[in-house]
Amino acid sequence: MLIWEIIKVAMSALHANKMRSTLTILGIIVGIFSIISISTVISMMQTSIEEGVSALGKNTFQLQKWPSVRTGSPEERAKIRNRRDITVEEYYKLRDKLDGTAKYVGGEQWNFGVRFKYRREETNPNISVCGSTPEAFPNNNWNIDTGREFGYKEINSVEKVVVLGSDIAEKLFEFIDPIGQEVWMDNHKLTVIGVLESQGDVFGQSQDNFAIVPISTWQSFFGKRNRSVNITIQSFDKAGYDDLIETSEGFFRTIRKVPPGEENDFSIRSNENMLRQINDITAGFRIGSFVISGIALLAAGIGIMNIMLVSVTERTKEIGIRKAIGARKKNILFQFLVESITLCLIGGIVGIILGVVTGNVLGSMLEFNAVVPFDWIMIGVSLCVLIGVSFGTYPAYKASNLDPIESLRYE
Amino acid sequence: MSRFLFELKEGVIISLKAIFANKARSVLTTLGIIIGIWAVITMSTAIKGIDIAFQDGVASLGSDNIYIDKWEWFNNDTPWWELRNRRNIDMDDFRAYKDAAQLPVAVAPSMWTSQTVKQRDRTVEFINIQGTTNDYIETTNLSFAEGRFFNELESNGGRAVIVLGWDIAENLFPNGGALGSTVKVKGHKLKVVGVLEEQGSWVMGNWNPDNQVYLPIEFMFKYLQRESFRSITINVRAENSIAVEEVKEEAIGLMRRVRGLTYDEINDFSINQQEGLLNEINQTVGVIQIAGLFITGLSLFVGAIGIMNIMFVSVKERTREIGIRKAIGAKRRAILGQFLSEAATICLMGGLIGLGIAVVTSIIIDRFLPTSIQIDAVFLAIVISLFTGLISGFAPAYTASKLDPVDSLRYE
Repeated sequence: MLIWEIIKVAMSALHANKMRSTLTILGIIVGIFSIISISTVISMMQTSIEEGVSALGKNTFQLQKWPSVRTGSPEERAKIRNRRDITVEEYYKLRDKLDGTAKYVGGEQWNFGVRFKYRREETNPNISVCGSTPEAFPNNNWNIDTGREFGYKEINSVEKVVVLGSDIAEKLFEFIDPIGQEVWMDNHKLTVIGVLESQGDVFGQSQDNFAIVPISTWQSFFGKRNRSVNITIQSFDKAGYDDLIETSEGFFRTIRKVPPGEENDFSIRSNENMLRQINDITAGFRIGSFVISGIALLAAGIGIMNIMLVSVTERTKEIGIRKAIGARKKNILFQFLVESITLCLIGGIVGIILGVVTGNVLGSMLEFNAVVPFDWIMIGVSLCVLIGVSFGTYPAYKASNLDPIESLRYE
Repeated sequence: MSRFLFELKEGVIISLKAIFANKARSVLTTLGIIIGIWAVITMSTAIKGIDIAFQDGVASLGSDNIYIDKWEWFNNDTPWWELRNRRNIDMDDFRAYKDAAQLPVAVAPSMWTSQTVKQRDRTVEFINIQGTTNDYIETTNLSFAEGRFFNELESNGGRAVIVLGWDIAENLFPNGGALGSTVKVKGHKLKVVGVLEEQGSWVMGNWNPDNQVYLPIEFMFKYLQRESFRSITINVRAENSIAVEEVKEEAIGLMRRVRGLTYDEINDFSINQQEGLLNEINQTVGVIQIAGLFITGLSLFVGAIGIMNIMFVSVKERTREIGIRKAIGAKRRAILGQFLSEAATICLMGGLIGLGIAVVTSIIIDRFLPTSIQIDAVFLAIVISLFTGLISGFAPAYTASKLDPVDSLRYE
């Protein structure tokens, strides 16, 4: 096979000049390492953010008063501030209209900064408490670890029951079963009926520092009108998801009496548009660091070109002989291209491994979750080939264009 | 000595000849160094720019000041729910402190609120409004573009007068003429008595004096925000930065008395200083600095590897030449010097060109981030590039100098 022959020639050439090949490869290793380690840290950061914001369940979106990312001109912000709160009545109306169209329609209201007590144990006064309907559990990925969740029975009878996040349960009930115990939430007495599974950390910040009570009970504590209701809606399957967003938007506009042609007076939050917004915000940062870390790779590419040129000069005679016994231009071209690509690939693979490891070490120091950035590994490999081709082409072209007579005579 | 100089001269001449003999090779090698030096110098100027911006931001606080507040500004050791439960500092606390304090040069209370300021059809939305007394200006380094701060009479009487920060004045009065005009806050007309000079402390965000307005605190209590709404901050200026510690000690003692704390109670107030902010900033800038210089340093490293590689090639190609030089009496150090000066020359040229490009780049960056190439950057570029040349050239040069003249003469 001709190709094997060419690759063998290239490899033996690399082998013959060990020192030179090692230094050239070292340049590529550093260049690729620079790009890969930086992008690994950035994609770790990205996934950590994404895990933090994509807290909604599968195929779920949320209608809320506030947009998830607050940007825009002062006028737009003022307009948003003036939106009416979403009320529980509006929630119930929407739930009735979506009956049969959506899988779950949940409502929830939040209050921040309460303290839980059990006998002598108490938490810090930084617990969030959510008043919700039963559908909020599947919509938010809240899974019960022990005990049970509440249903409409508890909501209708305004029962003082609570489902605790795992942090609170751990803090208050170290050695006893929390189910059935009575706890104090500030000055309200509640019975624990369930504990949630842990949802893990985001940026070292616990996601389990909250408790859930029936929405009616919440309103009896904190008042009916002082917080906007968030409505979470889950579709039956992925296929119906986009349609459901549109249907719900339409229904909710009717319920809120938004005139045709006016903008929505509520925001739609879905995992997808959250991710998109985050990507928009971080795009500049990512491009900037890619360019800066790519500078080293450029320098390495120039190094390759230089050493390939030397290699062509040194092997002028060899090229002359190969041509004299019938090698074609494209064979010579291919030989030198393969040589430079091989150099780049060897350096690239080592650089990628070093980069991913270093990136993960750095990232875990910053409390990001570990990640193997397959996309960046692919980009790294393609970059190697690209560098090998683009900086190897000129020397290879020069070699292939040598006149056999001249080069045989070359001393 | 003269012999050494002769060898150096000879070495430089030979290396220049060698560099010119292989133009394409030299250009590419230099290019690697140019890129490296350019990246490092540009990055260090950009970082310098960021640092300057931060320092300017902090400077608007003044290094001679302490701020007595309910909240701890920069330190997060105490959990917020404990700070939240502290009693607000009110005007009575302030007056008691002011009457008792001996050391400070100036003491002024301040309370902020967020309001929209209007002027005819122009508005600035939700800016920081500082309510304070006439002494406030004595606690700051602020200077005036036009007009003055409000005086004691206006301050005590809670008159409807206002001092605008530079950006606010620009926004409300794009054509000038702010002084003496009226603006509206929450429906109340206020007369503009002064406009501050531009401070450029954009890192402070909403707390940048350019984005704030100042009005008498009594006016604020009457029309904008109740006294009990939030804690006031007591701004205290010491005579100089040496006196700050004493003022701080005195303030702690006096405030404990004013707040009626017994000996076993911990302070229910915080003394804030720009030092806290400086520490945070230095941390941030430090991280940027390390990361930035490390990344760009990598490209310089790659450039150096390129030099080393090409020098090895050069030594190999000129084995015969080295043999002849040695045979006719060249010392090892002459050969070493020859190749070292070749590497150093390439690096120095690359460094100077890289520096030139970096100057151009920094002029472009200057449009977004006030910065300028410092003289130390020029120095740095030259030293780094020379150093790079010597380091990366040493191994090949050493190899060359160790060549056996007999073998090298025979080399084909």
